[in-house]
Amino acid sequence: MKIGIPRALFYYQFYPFWKIFFESLGHNVILSSPTNKEILKKGIELCVDDACLPIKIFHGHVADLMGKVDTIYIPRIVSIEPKEYICPKFLGLPDMIRNSIPDLPCIMDTELNLYRGKSKIFDYVFKLGKDLNVNKNRVLVAYYKALKTQKQFEYQLTRELRIPQDILNETRQIQKDQVLEKKPSHIKVLLLGHNYNIYDDFISMGLIRKLRKQNIAFITSEMVVKKNILEGTKKLSKDMFWTLGKKTIGTAHYFLDRKKIDGIIHVASFGCGPDSLVGELIEKKIKRDYTIPFLSLNLDEHAGETGFNTRLEAFLDVLEGRGYIEDNFSTYG
Amino acid sequence: MQKYTLGIDVGSVSTNLVLLDEKKHLIKKLYLKTAGNPIETIKKGLGILHEELGDVDIFAVGTTGSGRQLASILVGADIVKNEITTHAAAALSYYPNTQTILEIGGQDSKIIVIRNKTVVDFAMNTVCAAGTGSFLDRQAQRLGIPINKFGEIALKSHNPTRIAGRCAVFAESDMIHKQQMGHSIEDILKGLCEALVRNYFSNVAKGKEIRPLILFQGGVAANTGIKKAFEEQLEQSVTIPENYDVMGAIGAAILAFNHIVSRQKATRFLGMDIAAQNYKVKSFECKGCPNNCEIIQLFSDNKLKARWGDRCGKWSSTIAV
Repeated sequence: MKIGIPRALFYYQFYPFWKIFFESLGHNVILSSPTNKEILKKGIELCVDDACLPIKIFHGHVADLMGKVDTIYIPRIVSIEPKEYICPKFLGLPDMIRNSIPDLPCIMDTELNLYRGKSKIFDYVFKLGKDLNVNKNRVLVAYYKALKTQKQFEYQLTRELRIPQDILNETRQIQKDQVLEKKPSHIKVLLLGHNYNIYDDFISMGLIRKLRKQNIAFITSEMVVKKNILEGTKKLSKDMFWTLGKKTIGTAHYFLDRKKIDGIIHVASFGCGPDSLVGELIEKKIKRDYTIPFLSLNLDEHAGETGFNTRLEAFLDVLEGRGYIEDNFSTYG
Repeated sequence: MQKYTLGIDVGSVSTNLVLLDEKKHLIKKLYLKTAGNPIETIKKGLGILHEELGDVDIFAVGTTGSGRQLASILVGADIVKNEITTHAAAALSYYPNTQTILEIGGQDSKIIVIRNKTVVDFAMNTVCAAGTGSFLDRQAQRLGIPINKFGEIALKSHNPTRIAGRCAVFAESDMIHKQQMGHSIEDILKGLCEALVRNYFSNVAKGKEIRPLILFQGGVAANTGIKKAFEEQLEQSVTIPENYDVMGAIGAAILAFNHIVSRQKATRFLGMDIAAQNYKVKSFECKGCPNNCEIIQLFSDNKLKARWGDRCGKWSSTIAV
């Protein structure tokens, strides 16, 4: 069977697991195309108007897979960490898709809910196995194989400090990563935001591409091990139960305390509730206790890059702390 | 022969050209309406300079503003710089002890925080362009007031009415309601100035430490009503530089001048006769991949000069020049 996986949202976090899991059960995994104008256009047409950009783009990716696959895998992701939740839009994603897109192929909407404990992962994989008509033994073999790949993926992120696109072989030419520990450039930026925003070259208007071009070293929360994120979140006055927001805030606090970074770029989608809150919390924290520059970039359907570039270029100028009297600024940018 | 440095700021509403002399003093400034056609406006500006000053020796050229890339391709610029950096450069050259710059232009509003002659922080309006010059322009037009009288009329108000400032659409309907309730035009205009400043502080300047000297730059600085509203809100005086409307262009020229001096290179300026050439822009959608990039081609007298807009470099790397 051909199983389609939309190249959006949790693709950037769980694709290695899903790919190996389905393939070891003898299925073909088909990915949708990288986000492009057509996908954006279809997504906006199909999706309800109030959703955030990444959800709209997800709709476009589902549309892109139609006609190419037998089934589309859209898990109902409720919780990926005990006692924490994911954004409600993920929870209702299969229902949103079913209600908005006509003539869909079969949708696999297996629920992933680890709220009551990590061991609930087995409920999820056995349910997946049942949907695919395979017995529990084969499911377990596939699960451990997939888990190994997933762990390797996470190792590459956190230890080798690579970014998902490069590991998942998305970029045409894989550049040597210019990340903190590896090749120290003179400026180090902490790049915060949901992985499905910052790693999607189209949504993020090539932010990572542009940083690399300017030889700016960056680190993202995907590159930070969980222990350090948790250490960062300890500073909060109250425990956060949004997994994604917690990851962002924890990373910010961890690096702010260690003074290892020159600036923070926070990428938020317009209309994302948690993003608006998280950005504000980090900015307030910086204003109170630190003096490093903070840039908030809001993304929506805009295709004109001028406004985005102006903010980014000006921010990089600030980071370099160029005295404007002297001539030590870059010619372009 | 006297050498001049040219600075061009192509903004959403206005296109400004300045000429500086070798001591970086302002010799000539032009403030033209972009009117949706940056190429023609730049040409027109160069034409005016050429007519008034004759053949001048251009030492360096810098471009800025949202149309800076386009302007750079057209005239051959030595530096292409964002508005924040150029505004700061210009402000510091006139007022070295500047610590805060409030800048409101056609579509952008920004705050620039400077300490020890270095930009340490800035913020710009986010997705929404509420409370910028083009909105004021539109409201003045709707009320039938020339925009240059806006501030003057607003200052006559003794009892400004409160206008919703969060969103331009809300502000407009609130203004209409107030006007239908019988509020005088000066009270409404002053109310609008206060709403815009309120919006600026809650949206753009939130949390920033505003220290004197405070400069107010950009086209909207011409509006004395807004200046007054800023001063009332800040309880501090706000300085408007003499050339508040062309500070971006001055900054671009200063940076270009410094660049050429330090690198000891010749300028890349293509010459004043650009103004006489016939430029045409044609665009098409590339069908090479699903990105469907919009490619823009610039022709000068039917010869392809530049191409841009592609993500992969397929078109922009094969420029004919």
